[in-house]
Amino acid sequence: MKTTDLINTSYTLGFHKPEVYQYKSPKGLSEKTVETISGMKGEPDWMREIRLKSLSYFRDKKMPSWGADLSGINFDDIYYYIRPVKDRASRWSEIPEEIKDTYDRIGIPEAEKKFLMGVSAQYESEVVYKSINSMLTKKGVIFSDMDSGLREYPDMIRQYFGHIISPTDNKFASLNTSVWSGGSFVYVPKGVRVELPLQAYFRINAANMGQFERTLIIADEGSFVHYVEGCSAPVYSTDSLHSAVVEIIVKKGARVRYTTIQNWSKNVYNLVTKRARVEEEGIMEWVDGNIGSKVTMKYPSVYLVGRKARGEVLSVAYAGAGQHQDAGGKAVHLASETSSQIISKSISGGGGRTSYRGLVEVAQHARGVKSRVVCDALILDGDSRSDTYPTMNIKGPSPTLEHEATVSKIGDEQMFYLTSRGIAEHDARAMIVNGFIEPIVKELPLEYAVELNRLLSLEMEGSVG
Amino acid sequence: MKNESLIIKNLHASFEGKEILRGLDLTVKPGEVHTVMGPNGSGKSTLSSVIMGSPLYDISHSSRIMLGKKNLNGISPDDRAKLGIFLAFQSPVAVPGVSVLSVLRSAYSAIHGATKKIVQHNPVLSGRMVTPSVSFKDFLGIVKHEAKNIGLDESLFTRAIHDGFSGGERKKVEMLTALVLAPKIAVFDEIDTGLDVDALRAVSDGISAMKKGDTGIIVITHYLRILKYVKPDAVHIMVKGKIVQSGSYILAKKIEEKGYGSFI
Repeated sequence: MKTTDLINTSYTLGFHKPEVYQYKSPKGLSEKTVETISGMKGEPDWMREIRLKSLSYFRDKKMPSWGADLSGINFDDIYYYIRPVKDRASRWSEIPEEIKDTYDRIGIPEAEKKFLMGVSAQYESEVVYKSINSMLTKKGVIFSDMDSGLREYPDMIRQYFGHIISPTDNKFASLNTSVWSGGSFVYVPKGVRVELPLQAYFRINAANMGQFERTLIIADEGSFVHYVEGCSAPVYSTDSLHSAVVEIIVKKGARVRYTTIQNWSKNVYNLVTKRARVEEEGIMEWVDGNIGSKVTMKYPSVYLVGRKARGEVLSVAYAGAGQHQDAGGKAVHLASETSSQIISKSISGGGGRTSYRGLVEVAQHARGVKSRVVCDALILDGDSRSDTYPTMNIKGPSPTLEHEATVSKIGDEQMFYLTSRGIAEHDARAMIVNGFIEPIVKELPLEYAVELNRLLSLEMEGSVG
Repeated sequence: MKNESLIIKNLHASFEGKEILRGLDLTVKPGEVHTVMGPNGSGKSTLSSVIMGSPLYDISHSSRIMLGKKNLNGISPDDRAKLGIFLAFQSPVAVPGVSVLSVLRSAYSAIHGATKKIVQHNPVLSGRMVTPSVSFKDFLGIVKHEAKNIGLDESLFTRAIHDGFSGGERKKVEMLTALVLAPKIAVFDEIDTGLDVDALRAVSDGISAMKKGDTGIIVITHYLRILKYVKPDAVHIMVKGKIVQSGSYILAKKIEEKGYGSFI
């Protein structure tokens, strides 16, 4: 367990703390590991059975033959479950000092005071801190960790768990369903609008850790919620695995916005399945920022099942040295008059690689469908790479489809223009990059926009010039 | 602070092996307006880029571009800007997602930052040197004031610079930048092209104001009309990378009537 500064000197969240745990499973995956996780959580039988079945799906399924290189993952060398504390706290003061200090350094307690309606902090496998504004509780909003959710609202969870993303969907969804722990359960009642974001923060501290949080968000008719997640991990010389599943149900006329600022250290494989089912006139918006990780494969999806449902995926990715960001989005139009928009902006520098991978599908009976896909790549130097893999699968009658893709380099003319104004070369480059992602950054709450710009500038200092 | 002269001597510059400037001499003193005219392809825009330090051109060793006693050879565009050189581009490039105001602000703080002492006419501390740098509020005040003078709509401030701007808007933003940055030497590359009469007058007023502020100015143009508003101290005819004749306003008039035929 040695930190290394070789990977990236500009990553400020790469510190690690001594390991704190109540229980740590042995390395590797077995029925016994799965049984132990389920047993320690005191789960109902049906959940234990889903877990065990999913384990067999995981074993049967092949690794994806497309996408990023995953050959570095050794499933036998991973800790699948680490319980850091005995009980979840609702006050920061109740959390062990080492863990609390981590969140202080990331700035979560401060952010909570200023602009959040609820906070969840997951450390290793479990949520160690959870709070929700009491006004929201009064309105019937549920914001809890998934394990507590399962204990307190078993019927609601059983109704939806694994229904949006089946345990057989892909190898990593199988894995997650088998060993999931932590994550959030959110329910927003009819007509309730949660005006400030709910935030979850995921931290991996141990080396060779596997984090498998599971999130389920249900927005009832006419409601609104904005859920924000952030993540980071120490820099280790060995790899960790983060494989989450996020299922979202947007009911009639509801709107959910899900924002991710992914800043894992560059030794984390980030393989996440995210999908939303959107009913009539509902709106789902994924805002996805991928800055960190060694490899990310993530394509947030919208399944538009009700008339006039709308889905948006806005994604921005930065790949520096040793990174491959394989990201994009999927829009599946299963009803008439549905519309979607996928906007992807990727930047590669220092030998990094970005890929856009997207799917637009229109079912045979879906009429009056509109979809727009824009993927723009900015390549900062000759060693870096960007690829685009768009797929369209159109069965429905004459949908309105737009697809634009651009690949650009920072132009000499733009650099000359800005430097002729006295702006130093490095700053000019950062301005151009920030300008490039501005259409997505402006969708973020101000604090996150500032954070994203700051992270990108830090990354570019590490990789450019 | 007294402004310095721009002194260009025996300037040879080439682009991808092709010589474009072939021994050009030009001296611009503080508060002077020099007009450079010449047929297409004579190297006028190259001259402006080379003064600003564009890395695309190779400059011969014997060439001299001096600001006062400082030799600018080998100095990067951003450092030239900090020394007080400014170029208003003929066709400025768009920088998507970067607002006019953020370019102006970054430029202003890079150039004037913490180094420039501002004389503030505070009614209480009248005429004293007050702050070492400018607050954003004061900076915005300067930008708004100058924008108003040249009739530039404030709604452009927050738009991405030159992105989808009309020809006139581009020229005005370049003019605004010049006024806000208050350089020692300003080169205007065809600032008058494509402007209507009102915009032309506004831009000309801007140049006149800078002249009064002791900025040395080069106006590159094809047309006489801007010179009706900005009286030049000298008019130079540039052909094939050299100044072939210098004179007064009358020379420019002659060119407009008879063309460059007698110089080629």
